[in-house]
Amino acid sequence: MKVLELKNVNKIYNGSEVHVHAVNSVSLEFKEAEFAAIVGPSGSGKTTLLNLIGGLDMPTSGEIIIDGTDLSELKSSQLIDFRMRNIGFVFQAYNLIPVLTARENVEFIMSLQKWSKKDRDERTFELLKAVGLADRANSRPSKLSGGQQQRVAVARALASRPKFVLADEPTANLDSKSATTLLEIMEKLNHEEKITFIFSTHDPRVVKMAHRVITLEDGSVVSDEIRE
Amino acid sequence: MRNYKIAWRNLWRNKRRTLITVASVFFAIFFALVMRSLQLGTYDHMFRNAIESYTGYIQIQHEDFWDTKVVDNTFIYSPELDQKIMSLKNSVGTVPRFESFALASTGTLTKGVLVMGIDPEREALLSDVRSRLVRYRLDKVSVESLRNSVLPEKIKKDLDLFSGNAYSSNSALAVDFNIEDRDSSLILPVFRQFASFSNGYLKQGEPAAVIGEKLASFLKAGIGDTIVLLGQGYHGTTAAGKYRINGIVKIPAPDLDNKIVYLPYDICQELYNAPGMLTSLAISVKDNDDNSIEKTIEELEKQLEPPLKVMGWREMNKLMLNQMDADSKSGMIMIFILYLVIAFGIFGTVLMMTAERRREFGVLVAIGMQKRKLSVVVTMEMILIGLMGIVSGVIAALPIIFYGYSHPIRFHGEMAKMYEDYGMEAVMPFLLPDMYVLWQSLVVAIIVFVSLIYPLRKIGKMQVVNSLKA
Repeated sequence: MKVLELKNVNKIYNGSEVHVHAVNSVSLEFKEAEFAAIVGPSGSGKTTLLNLIGGLDMPTSGEIIIDGTDLSELKSSQLIDFRMRNIGFVFQAYNLIPVLTARENVEFIMSLQKWSKKDRDERTFELLKAVGLADRANSRPSKLSGGQQQRVAVARALASRPKFVLADEPTANLDSKSATTLLEIMEKLNHEEKITFIFSTHDPRVVKMAHRVITLEDGSVVSDEIRE
Repeated sequence: MRNYKIAWRNLWRNKRRTLITVASVFFAIFFALVMRSLQLGTYDHMFRNAIESYTGYIQIQHEDFWDTKVVDNTFIYSPELDQKIMSLKNSVGTVPRFESFALASTGTLTKGVLVMGIDPEREALLSDVRSRLVRYRLDKVSVESLRNSVLPEKIKKDLDLFSGNAYSSNSALAVDFNIEDRDSSLILPVFRQFASFSNGYLKQGEPAAVIGEKLASFLKAGIGDTIVLLGQGYHGTTAAGKYRINGIVKIPAPDLDNKIVYLPYDICQELYNAPGMLTSLAISVKDNDDNSIEKTIEELEKQLEPPLKVMGWREMNKLMLNQMDADSKSGMIMIFILYLVIAFGIFGTVLMMTAERRREFGVLVAIGMQKRKLSVVVTMEMILIGLMGIVSGVIAALPIIFYGYSHPIRFHGEMAKMYEDYGMEAVMPFLLPDMYVLWQSLVVAIIVFVSLIYPLRKIGKMQVVNSLKA
């Protein structure tokens, strides 16, 4: 089942002297439960493409359709609401809410969606257990290691059962062991929850585990390899 | 996760910054309240002195009397006039007065005085002259006796400071000598033994006078002495009379204390050859708030005909009101400067907080928090900071205000003389908490809200992608 479709998407940044074509006529489709990596050299447009897919930025032209909804047709507040219900984010710098505990961070989006306390508790416990941090549920981010914070971020991204998770260089700040653990957890959750994962990455370990590898160069897709 | 919980926790992420901001609000509200209480308390005290010991809230006069205070500008006091006034809801009673000027002399000393003919009993409704009769007088003999008495040393030390003063009540004496309630039963009898002052009072039809304490000192007159009054009577006649001094009063308005001579008003009418006439008829009222007074004045104006005129306390104390208004404005400027400094302090904090948390705001909106909800959280943070500062500032200021109310600042020596030269009692009481507490708190709350405009605007215009890069 198709969860995401990009139709001839372009993003042009108009500077005072030069125009930068950050994303150039990209057309892609992602199906349910894909585990896809977007790779390419620095400046190839990976993060810009991820921002466009996540509705954090708007394309100059083209359509981004998620589960039948064209993002460009949504108003600002509708777009925020749409992101909350359909898209999970994992950032390179974790970006957990510092004043909330691991449990509260995971619970946060569910409470924005007004889930019942019982459902929130169950889902939070289930996810923290899945990422191996059930025993650190009441720790604040400052008391967790980088790898642990990123695992909480993954749990947070999955909390409200989004259509897909966007992860921008999720392993970039992690040591080798933490990165491997994180990738294993994400692959397991991809299997169990049937949620699509789309990464932008430089990390060969991520590329190695990905089921699909999309290569960008100068904003254009130069290869789209699906592995069995 | 409740918004207030996030807001509360956010405050304590940077404890030092939050505490400094709370402290700036605290000091703003604390100093503003103490300053304002002292200023308003002083005005209130001056008003009360002027109104309660002299003008009253409403008076009926001959229409020309206020501008030309001569006995020719008097009016006939009739029972019908009393009835009209007493028919008003806000009237409690009428206080007749016959007021003029004269030269007063005892022996070789002479002074221009204000002669006030009063009804000895009905005057209790307004200035209550009887309650102002001097009970203690610290002349040289009594000070010496007190110094050799069993009084505690700390009180003996103050005797020189207050030597020459007179007191019309135990409480005034207790305030000057800092006598605690628990000690008063031991100390006051000593004062009564060595410094008490026996006074008589006035009676309608009796040719006797009660004079101000400062005037008595000037004229070197005491109880039982005779005072001679000489002035101009009704229609140019000569007004002359001699009266036994029955009592000495301590009037809190020093200017008045230095020139007042009270006579029964019928004796005064006789002195000025104006039987049945009055210069003013003060009205004692139930409610003395501005609205009630205005309403009563309006009702009276409808019932009275020229040459009678109704005067309100504002009209009768115009000069004092203007002086206070000017002084109040200078006080407001000081408070405004204080608030301006605080406003910049708060704004600086808000500015730093907004810049520091730009990325966090971006993340929250990216994962699905609506901007308006984020604005609510930030607003709550500022409200909490404002509340903590305002509440703690009010709590800290209240005991000082209550203490300052019950123990007013009293000036002595040169400072006291300076005050009295301006016709003011050398005392600065605080005003009990009133609307000004609410106003000052409101002003600080408005500063907090105004400083909120910046982060709320930033959140409203935030581009998530740019914020995530911050």
